[in-house]
Amino acid sequence: MTTETRTRTEELTINMGPQHPSTHGVLRLVVTLDGERVVQVIPDIGYLHSSMEKIAERLTYQQYLPYADRYDYLNAMGNELAYVMAVEKLLGIEPTPRCQFIRVMMAEMNRIASHLVYFATLGNDVGAVSVFLYCFREREAILDLFEAASGQRLLYHYLRIGGLRNDLPDDFCAGLGHFLSYFPSRIDEYDKLLTKNRIFRSRMEGVGHFSAEDALSYGVTGPCLRGCGTDYDIRRADPYCVYPQLDFTVPTFEECDAMARHLVRQEEMRQSVRILQQCLEMLPEGDVSVKVPRRIKPDPGEAYARVESPRGELGCYIVSDGSEKPYRLHWRAPSFYNLQAYPVMCKDAWVADLVAILGSVDIVLGDVDR
Amino acid sequence: MRLSFLNAERRTLMPVHRSRREPTVAELLLIILEGAWSIVVGLYVTFINFWRTKVTDRYPHRDPALNWQPRPGYRGDFALITDRETGKLRCIGCQQCQNICPDGCILVVPEGKGKERHPKEFYIDAGLCMYCGLCVEVCPADALTMTPDYETATDDPRKLVRDIDYLRERGMEYDEVLRVQ
Repeated sequence: MTTETRTRTEELTINMGPQHPSTHGVLRLVVTLDGERVVQVIPDIGYLHSSMEKIAERLTYQQYLPYADRYDYLNAMGNELAYVMAVEKLLGIEPTPRCQFIRVMMAEMNRIASHLVYFATLGNDVGAVSVFLYCFREREAILDLFEAASGQRLLYHYLRIGGLRNDLPDDFCAGLGHFLSYFPSRIDEYDKLLTKNRIFRSRMEGVGHFSAEDALSYGVTGPCLRGCGTDYDIRRADPYCVYPQLDFTVPTFEECDAMARHLVRQEEMRQSVRILQQCLEMLPEGDVSVKVPRRIKPDPGEAYARVESPRGELGCYIVSDGSEKPYRLHWRAPSFYNLQAYPVMCKDAWVADLVAILGSVDIVLGDVDR
Repeated sequence: MRLSFLNAERRTLMPVHRSRREPTVAELLLIILEGAWSIVVGLYVTFINFWRTKVTDRYPHRDPALNWQPRPGYRGDFALITDRETGKLRCIGCQQCQNICPDGCILVVPEGKGKERHPKEFYIDAGLCMYCGLCVEVCPADALTMTPDYETATDDPRKLVRDIDYLRERGMEYDEVLRVQ
């Protein structure tokens, strides 16, 4: 008789969160463990629920715009872009070319800033603390540019229906050009610190395996889907603004693990730098705003606009009943869909991998709960 | 730099062994060497950053004159602009800011008719405000403005309610600050 048959083991259910530092917000994970192996993970969400969709029904179209910043706070410009595009679709407004370019620039800068936060927090979670400091230093440079343009550092309220709040300040392009001149070398530094690091690779490679079929059936989008080798990006699949005029590649990796998702984001930052450089060259002169009536009353109907946020497909669906306020507004929040695939990724993982996998999914809890 | 062979193309210096098989002695040695080398690379990057300019501020434990100054157009605390010629507030008490505010944190009590119309009371609850700036944009008289003052923290929430005297004082203080648009 061996020891295995004599020892009685039973599964243990523990809570991870809602105050755990690597849950990036307030997420509670109910984890069932068999020793060090994960048997089942159930994410418990809703701690940050702020009825973002219901609020829209009591506010006019202009008044809701600052709220759009607030639920996915790391991608405020992208949220504004989705909302503004949906309202403009309802109204049938076409923004000016300069406005379109500036919107794309803002969205891409915000993508870089969001991915930098991802790098920082992921490095912090798996034990590479110095990356946290360097990423936040670079992010600060982007936030300074945002502040120069919009007057706020995190929740910008910069885009407007039919245009922008104001044109770019004079020194904005020079500042952005300076940032783009040194930023690619900084990405190489993160590459050395993280991707070249033996410990980081051991923690990331081969964990959180997730096939492309699973990703598609769960509605996973963004870097998590492209890390499964599926070439799907809204900027290519359903181009908006001036993305058709820009030359960039959509990076994909075939490994389907946490490392692949990490590398997708690293490549995306390089592509964003390319897009920004092209935008700076091609930025046309002219007005940034078109005239819109002060009281926005779209005809009854519905509109859906989607953009590629740093986390995936971000959609905004508005139903208008002809009044000043939306009848119904719905956010297709990418983090929510990506999080529901998290239990599949954690199948047969070690308990120490939970943090690395959650970091590689890159959820924002404000986006999940909204 | 001599570390150029660590470029992004050679991502897999050594395949990671996550298989069940025990690594042989030679493989183990390689893994250990590679781990040691990655520590050297990491320390090299931190060493470079050691010589870069410091970005950390010991705010607020230092000279306030060195404090970060927001750019013009920053959306900070509120102010009501006083007209220099007449010595009166520019505000005409039209209540448009009160109506557009998404949070409903502004209360204007107007007084008088026609040209004489002016605010008797003007309250802004800065604790409720989300600094979206819609009230400033909608103001037809260019009276309400936002100053670059960001140090509005207080220990009492009641102090966050700005009344008309506070706003007028602020407007005198920040008179030279240009409006955003």
